[in-house]
Amino acid sequence: MSDLIEINGFTNATLGWKAWLDVVKLDSATPEQIAVLEESHPKAKVSDYYLFLVHQPEVLKQRSIAFNAIMYAPGGMPRAERELGATVVSRINGCVYCASVHAQRFEQLAKRNDAITEVFNNPYTAGTSARERAIVDFSIALTNQPNEISPARIQALKDVGLTEIEILDLIHSVAIFAWANRLMLNLGEPVFTQTAA
Amino acid sequence: MDPGNAGCLIYSRDTFNSNSCSPSNCTLIFMTNTLMPNTIDHLVGLTPGLSTYDVRHQRDKVVAATQKSEEGLFDPNLPGLTVNERLLVALLACVLTPSAVCAAEYRRRLEEGGADASLVEHVSNAALSKIDNVRLQAILKFTHTLITDPVKADQAALQSLPKAGLSTPEVVTLAQLIAFVSYQVRVVAGLTAMKQLEQQA
Repeated sequence: MSDLIEINGFTNATLGWKAWLDVVKLDSATPEQIAVLEESHPKAKVSDYYLFLVHQPEVLKQRSIAFNAIMYAPGGMPRAERELGATVVSRINGCVYCASVHAQRFEQLAKRNDAITEVFNNPYTAGTSARERAIVDFSIALTNQPNEISPARIQALKDVGLTEIEILDLIHSVAIFAWANRLMLNLGEPVFTQTAA
Repeated sequence: MDPGNAGCLIYSRDTFNSNSCSPSNCTLIFMTNTLMPNTIDHLVGLTPGLSTYDVRHQRDKVVAATQKSEEGLFDPNLPGLTVNERLLVALLACVLTPSAVCAAEYRRRLEEGGADASLVEHVSNAALSKIDNVRLQAILKFTHTLITDPVKADQAALQSLPKAGLSTPEVVTLAQLIAFVSYQVRVVAGLTAMKQLEQQA
């Protein structure tokens, strides 16, 4: 079992999430809404998040396709590193819920959580290797100052061994969490359960 | 190479299987897709032959879903927020990020759609206090918070939208739109840097 990490208000514990406005009720959902829920996430039908977003089913559908293609596509950047980028962005934007989910995914894939502890402590110095440091640095820069992403930033990723497709995957992973954080963070709130792991 | 063929090479991979592109149907594909070319390729200046273009299109599912997300969010048939309200939100998001290239694109679309020139000017300057429409001001204020400091957009910020008359589906459209533009500007920024590095080599 993973060790519980609780630092600066961030955690790797499993959290719930509740919407601040009315969600779509399954028994009054249209066939299109049901279909989009089913292809978005295995638990979408019992998730406030998906039941809220499915008020606009076509928009949710395309977002889910983009999200899944970015985070789960084979080849390119190792999935653990995409999850690291996602966790860094969520830490910077202050999305506790997103950070908890993607901290867990990183640990499942990488079989360690040292980098997560560092990201929760201080993302600006986090990274357990030169490659991780470069990934974290780039993730912060693209989150905070997208207008200042220079060719030198890309070169810094190449210098630690990232290939072009890995760099593209990192750009996508960071960008999709600019998107995801602004839904999770701004449409509802995490629910902290009391049960100890 | 005839123009139809060139167009086919540029646009066919986004929405069509490249096998479907033959000399006999190329012109049709070209005509169909020039109506709605790939926005991010256009904004970054990516064309076949650039390695950044080729790398981007190795993730074709992402390319297609990104384009369809944009088309869905600005679809005139999407009920609720008007297309001009949505374009003003996108413009403000780009102005605040900032992303000059994306801001110019949304400004152009507003001008081509005949939007109120003074309104476009106020939003271009992020001068929200000069907007007297209560509904639009609430929409743009929410946009401002989500772009500049998302952690500050709390429950009260969200509740300000129904109070200004927005329905829940309109709130969902607005949030998805702001979030999508946050994504789009970062993909554009990252790809632009990749392309610049490629061209320095």
